[in-house]
Amino acid sequence: MLALAWANLTHHKLRTTLSALAVGLGLALFLVSNGLATGSIGEVADRMESVQAELLVLPAQENMVFSGGAVFTPGWTDHLASVADEQGPLATDVIPAYWSQITMGGQQQRLFGIDPEQMPLFLGDRGMVAGHAFEQATAFSQRIRELRATADGQPLDTLLDDDEWSAGLELVIDDRLRRVGQDGHPYEIGDVVRVLGREFRIVGVVESGVAGRVFAPIETLRLINDGGRQRSTMFFIKLRPGLDHLVAARLFTEQLGSTVQVQPTSDYGRRLQQELGKVFMYVNVTNTLALIVCFLFILLTMYTFVLERTREIGILKSLGVTRRGLIGLSMLEALLISSAGAVIGIALSFVAQAIIAMRLPLLTVELPPQHLATAVAIGLVGGIGSALYPGWRAARLEPAVALGYE
Amino acid sequence: MISVRNVQHNYRHNGVVESVLHGVNLAVAEGEFVVLMGPSGCGKTTLLNILGLMMSPTSADSVALAGTETLGLSDSARTRLRRETLGFVFQRFNLLPTMSVRSNVALPLRIRGQHADGAVDKMLDRVGLLPQAGKKPGRLSIGQQQRVALARALIGRPAVLFADEPTGNLDSASAGAVLSLLREFHRDWGQTILLITHNEHLVGAGDRVLTMRDGRLHD
Ligand SMILES: Nc1ncnc2c1ncn2[C@@H]1O[C@H](COP(=O)(O)OP(=O)(O)OP(=O)(O)O)[C@@H](O)[C@H]1O
Ligand SMILES: [Mg+2]
Repeated sequence: MLALAWANLTHHKLRTTLSALAVGLGLALFLVSNGLATGSIGEVADRMESVQAELLVLPAQENMVFSGGAVFTPGWTDHLASVADEQGPLATDVIPAYWSQITMGGQQQRLFGIDPEQMPLFLGDRGMVAGHAFEQATAFSQRIRELRATADGQPLDTLLDDDEWSAGLELVIDDRLRRVGQDGHPYEIGDVVRVLGREFRIVGVVESGVAGRVFAPIETLRLINDGGRQRSTMFFIKLRPGLDHLVAARLFTEQLGSTVQVQPTSDYGRRLQQELGKVFMYVNVTNTLALIVCFLFILLTMYTFVLERTREIGILKSLGVTRRGLIGLSMLEALLISSAGAVIGIALSFVAQAIIAMRLPLLTVELPPQHLATAVAIGLVGGIGSALYPGWRAARLEPAVALGYE
Repeated sequence: MISVRNVQHNYRHNGVVESVLHGVNLAVAEGEFVVLMGPSGCGKTTLLNILGLMMSPTSADSVALAGTETLGLSDSARTRLRRETLGFVFQRFNLLPTMSVRSNVALPLRIRGQHADGAVDKMLDRVGLLPQAGKKPGRLSIGQQQRVALARALIGRPAVLFADEPTGNLDSASAGAVLSLLREFHRDWGQTILLITHNEHLVGAGDRVLTMRDGRLHD
């Protein structure tokens, strides 16, 4: 049977190759788009979860993916610091962040405005690849705070001269973004980048994997976007040691009311995945369609085989091959095609992964063994499935009729 | 070995019914070599297809093969009977073009789940085609192709061999070679043979000659 199936497939090399390619392309599309989705989400989640703080505070009902702006008014830092149980305040550090959307490295980036002095909490055990995590920005932030205390309602940005302004225009980027760079050149320390209508200087490069790909002093972003008012997009909370994260999160929500959501940082990935479920659904629908098309291709190929080989089927029947045997033959051939397709698909996915890593280093394609196994399973099941109808058609023919075909 | 009573068969195309066999009766003893002749279109192939379980008659009182009544048997039972007791040689050879000569001859054994081993080459040697064993059938002369078909039909030692104009496409030399092989096998193995032919030279080959006319058999 195997010999027969093999003989037929090798006799129709072009057709066999094309159907295997079709399956391969379909599976590769499935693997790469899934790999991109999980890879990118996983990467974002890993980065957020890398922050050395146990809780994350976002506005309630805020979409985690697209949130921006700064809805937290100045009082919130103190608010969060004051949440306490019998043993005192829960937070040892309240870490505000101010997010802005910018374009760098030819792609939308989330600019993380943070307090330069809190940079170590974002770095964790990651080191600097080049430069420093801010130079004059610490002094700049100090200066803004002083001004804020004495400004008396005047917009802070009007109180700064140009030199003072430029001290705050520092950026720290991650190594992945550095490598992508601009116009084909990697970023270097000292490069001037125009974002948010200002000329920022790159002063440091950190190892990849930190929460943001781009950091700036939070006070700079507040000056640019909010006239220097002490607003924030979200907060990280570093908890007093020994506190259960979930219990602490609940205490925060209870004491702060329903305008905020407080979640363990380690939950970010799972929740992000949930929120992106709808996006995933589109990806899945597209994938499913692609797979259906490629199995229709096998079905068509097998069906053509059956039509073309009607006489051959008649011969096999005259020799005593049963209906089940003919269906089995059809399935075996389809299985061989789809196994080849699975191998091609997996190979293509790895090629695509390598190309994407080279050309679009900011994207992550994950090809975990579960996905590969799923692809193989889909390939085999789809292959067998698409052979059923043609096989049944072949089995149903009366031998004398089949032999009568030209 | 073969025993049929009152076989009727009609073909139906585009609503027109063509009656081909009207009440065929036939009894062939084990080991008998029967030659069946008759004008073109009289229904010889139709009868052979019915006897070979390749199609079902429109009606019949009995179609028995090797002691088994086949009317009412399931498709798989008919297939098994065909696989285990029947062999076919056709005018058009009906070899599988994608497989080598050797694989073609091995096919009946493979389908039965038996090992082919040396039997295939021995058979090919007997029909004088061992040197061609690795070729595809399309590379052989038509006389050689028919000998491959004969080897394939007989390798499983079927009790009954049906041959439908096996020399119809052959020149007289090739036809002679096929015929003498047929007789040799019949002498050595004693299978029952039903052979359809238009070739007057083959008439003497059998033990008995039947003629079909008007959908019936005559001695
Ligand atoms: N599949 C079919 N559908 C309809 N009519 C058929 C079919 N097969 C054969 N016939 C008709 O049945 C009649 C008998 O055909 P059959 O092939 O049995 O004749 P035959 O004796 O074998 O002829 P030949 O000597 O030419 O091979 C012919 O008139 C033929 O046209
Ligand atoms: Mg005929």
